[in-house]
Amino acid sequence: MIIFKRAISLMLILGLLIAAIGCSNSQKQTATASTQSTPTSSQDKVIEITFWHAMGGNLGAALNKMVENFNKTHPNIKVIAQFQGNYDEELNKLRTAQQSKSGPDIVQVYDIGTRFMVDSGWAVPVQKFIDEEKYDISKLEPNLLAYYTVENKLYSMPFNSSTPILYYNKTAFKDAGLNPDTPPKNFEEIEQYGKKLLKKDASGKVTQYGYSMAIYGWFFEQFMAKQGALYANNGNGRDARATAVVFNDEAGQNIVNWWKKLVDEGVAGNFGRGYDDTLNAFTAGRTAMFIASTASLKQVLDGVGNKFEVGTGFLPALNDSKDGGVIIGGASLWILNTRSEEYQKAAWEFIKYMVSPEQQLFWHQNTGYFPVTKAVYDMPEMKSHLEKYPQFKTAIEQLHSTPINRATQGALIGVFPEARQTVEKAIEKVLQNQATTKQALDEALKSINKAIENYNQTIGK
Amino acid sequence: MYRIETIHSKESYKVKRHTLGMPLKNFKAEIEPYLYLLPAASIFIAFTFYPFFKTIYISLFMTGPQGGLSKFIGLKNYFDLLASPDFLNSLYVTFEFVLLTVPFSIIISLVLAIFANLDIKGKSVFRTFYALPISISSASAAVIWTLLFNPSIGFINYLLSFFGIPAIGWLTDVKWGIVAVSIVTIWLNLGMNFIFLLGGLQNIPKDLYESAQIDGANVFLQHVKITIPMLSPTLFFVTVVDIINAFQQFGVINIMTQGGPVDSTNVIVYSIYRDAFFNFRFGVASAESIILFVILLILTVLQFKTGERRVFYR
Amino acid sequence: MRKSIRILIVYIVNVILAGIILFPLIYALMISLMKPEDIFQYPPKIIPTSLYLGNYVEALKSVPILRFILNSFIVSSVVTVGQIVTASLAAYAFTYYDFKGKNLIFLMFLSTMMIPGEATIIANYLTIRSLNWIDTYKALIIPNLGTALGIFLMRQFFLTIPKDYYEAAAIDGATKFQFFVKVLLPLSRPAIGSLAIYSFLMTWNQYMWPLLVTNRDEMRTVQIGISMLQMAESQSFGLIMAGVIMIIIPSLVAFIVGQKQLIEGLSAGALKG
Repeated sequence: MIIFKRAISLMLILGLLIAAIGCSNSQKQTATASTQSTPTSSQDKVIEITFWHAMGGNLGAALNKMVENFNKTHPNIKVIAQFQGNYDEELNKLRTAQQSKSGPDIVQVYDIGTRFMVDSGWAVPVQKFIDEEKYDISKLEPNLLAYYTVENKLYSMPFNSSTPILYYNKTAFKDAGLNPDTPPKNFEEIEQYGKKLLKKDASGKVTQYGYSMAIYGWFFEQFMAKQGALYANNGNGRDARATAVVFNDEAGQNIVNWWKKLVDEGVAGNFGRGYDDTLNAFTAGRTAMFIASTASLKQVLDGVGNKFEVGTGFLPALNDSKDGGVIIGGASLWILNTRSEEYQKAAWEFIKYMVSPEQQLFWHQNTGYFPVTKAVYDMPEMKSHLEKYPQFKTAIEQLHSTPINRATQGALIGVFPEARQTVEKAIEKVLQNQATTKQALDEALKSINKAIENYNQTIGK
Repeated sequence: MYRIETIHSKESYKVKRHTLGMPLKNFKAEIEPYLYLLPAASIFIAFTFYPFFKTIYISLFMTGPQGGLSKFIGLKNYFDLLASPDFLNSLYVTFEFVLLTVPFSIIISLVLAIFANLDIKGKSVFRTFYALPISISSASAAVIWTLLFNPSIGFINYLLSFFGIPAIGWLTDVKWGIVAVSIVTIWLNLGMNFIFLLGGLQNIPKDLYESAQIDGANVFLQHVKITIPMLSPTLFFVTVVDIINAFQQFGVINIMTQGGPVDSTNVIVYSIYRDAFFNFRFGVASAESIILFVILLILTVLQFKTGERRVFYR
Repeated sequence: MRKSIRILIVYIVNVILAGIILFPLIYALMISLMKPEDIFQYPPKIIPTSLYLGNYVEALKSVPILRFILNSFIVSSVVTVGQIVTASLAAYAFTYYDFKGKNLIFLMFLSTMMIPGEATIIANYLTIRSLNWIDTYKALIIPNLGTALGIFLMRQFFLTIPKDYYEAAAIDGATKFQFFVKVLLPLSRPAIGSLAIYSFLMTWNQYMWPLLVTNRDEMRTVQIGISMLQMAESQSFGLIMAGVIMIIIPSLVAFIVGQKQLIEGLSAGALKG
């Protein structure tokens, strides 16, 4: 009896599941049927290529739309986009898969994976296709070319590019008697404004912090560049392979000291390492200013809704350096040599499509990543878009006011993902009073340098 | 028809074998137990022992950034690890985590089991509730609790504020990270422990309590004098399982803290994962796994040595 | 009078305990029914202002959750059956046979419990890859078919079964295998029941292995699905919680249906030691 009952309920669950899957599958089928109904000119064989990416949420939705459009307009190529988790997880997965050469045809790798990807020997430099086709890259943003060109070759195609900017709550600025149109330009002003923006309830509990930023290594790297300082030796690893990191200098200490000071004064809230936790704190009104990527702009605007007005400003400065600026963040698309040239060519077709002005306009509007090609700025849609959402302008202006030099080109290190995490740990240590700034940075330096040494020694030739 | 024949032929085969005498029968009897072991053994050999020895082998090498073995360095990985403050910290954190999770998991589930074992109406409803965490995966639990601990909109801090407790940085404060992941792990352990302990409790004859009551022992004393000793085989089993699980907890930490803040939740398993699949130093990671294995081995042997003696068997 | 007060106290304690234990799930359910505006309020809300199902719709659109659930169901069920077979066979050899190397083999089997999965995962990955099993059910199932804990549990149970049964069966002319299938296994139903639940849930909860051996969405299991959803939608708590609730429901239903037998099975003496 009991067994009978159990069996029935099991069958019920299974039945329900299968029915549900059936429904979702049939939905999918009708969807693909409709895309197939577009006239296909030739019934040639369709090349199927896999594309790994790390775009989730609204970013992923926009990306999928672009892939879908590509497949519609290119009957001979079918791109299968697969979300593989965040950048770190995706790269780790790639490394595991590549041990048996089972990676995808195209992979989106974040900025700091560049040196590793070049060394891996898994990639076909896009330069090869650019040369073969005489593809015009003069319209691409020069800062992007500066970042992704390694040993005079463009290895990968920049696709989604961002820089960090300051987001602030205009409404809170007004309430605190601050001018909502002049965001703080440097950390003295952050402190000054932050104190005014700080709100506490009757019991002394902070309800709104003045300022906040996630313990995210990327910000540290950006603030180094903002001061015109190098992160790694040998010109940030651009003149020759970097053999050590050098961020424990005055510039590096300056960043951590300011950070700690703001936290100790209670002006800045510490919402941990989670990038989104700080973002959520801002949308929930728990902090009046914070630093985040331009790529989060759409997310922030959607999250805030009508609760308050959002303003954006340049990344605040730590000194008066004129050579400083921001480094390109985001990711680029790599063609892997996993499969034959036929597939690589198809991958190149896809990449060209993804950086075309029309697609980049769509991408920019739906995410906040700035267009990789300047051609977009001539489009009337772009002009009206910027008028409607002036916040998007900040990132573009900030990028164009950044001089190109070794500091703002960003560092190339094979073990950059590890280095970034080590720096995060060091910052955490200081904020939690477990070490002084100097101690923590020196320690981080030592650990990273050992990893670099290891990496350089074992780099397979 | 055919079927009968086969059975018949089998019978005759058996008879024939008998007539053949002892050697073949002995041979058959001798390999028989190994045949029963074969399925489990082949899985273990292919997917535990072989990779395990491969891990030992890898641990003697320096590995390249893509995971290939590059240079034989003997025991250097081990010496480096034992001299590394980060690894020693991981060891410390692991033991801290075990000590925080195992006793509380067992004590709380024992309390739950005792209350659910009392003869009241609707006890089966409570039993269902208490056993329920068993059906929740570590990933789901971690995702839910991450939100509960969220620094800006988390509910736990809000609840605590009613008791005048200032906001705690559950996942950001170096003192609280380990507590947060422990709470989630304990919650996850409750269901399984509860079921085992309740099963154990129900096996204790009621008359033992009745005679104790006649002797005038109060409820607390009854549990100390009767429940704990009578339950000791189950308690022992649950302890062994909880300890091994605690040493191997990965999902909750990966989702909630990624080993932070400042390595305060960087248990060995997490550090292995980091070194292997993030930093791609398989040599070092392999050495770490071997050390973890040795620790677990020693602990288990100790447990069986001391535990088996203390456990009260009927 | 004293007795009724005691019962009242027992009820109150039980209700409080149940409330604490269930709270995270209730919370997840509530959040999953909230509009984003409700979630991002401080002080936080616990009751949604209106019943909002948009999160569920969005979650289903975002990742193929139903497919994940089906995959997990298939994998966990097959692994459960497989583990019961391999474990009871091995446990039978360990309890009813004497043979060379018995203790050594038993110890070696048990020692697999102590080898952390992370220690073998990369080598296993390479094996699976060289067999071309990536993105298949085989890769998710076969490496999991051995269970030292299961063997231990079954052996413990077999030890409690009086030898009389064995002798009686032998007198009736049953072979050892017949005794195993026709007598021992039916007697061991409670132990098998608890092992089944254990295996099912352990497999259902697996995280790292499925992450490595599956690349395509169609092959992913729920745990990977939920962390993918969390990574993809890190901002939309309502959507994430909707995903969690949908993933919890099947295992919850299976649990509620099976729990009575599970608890009764255990009380019948699965772990007498």
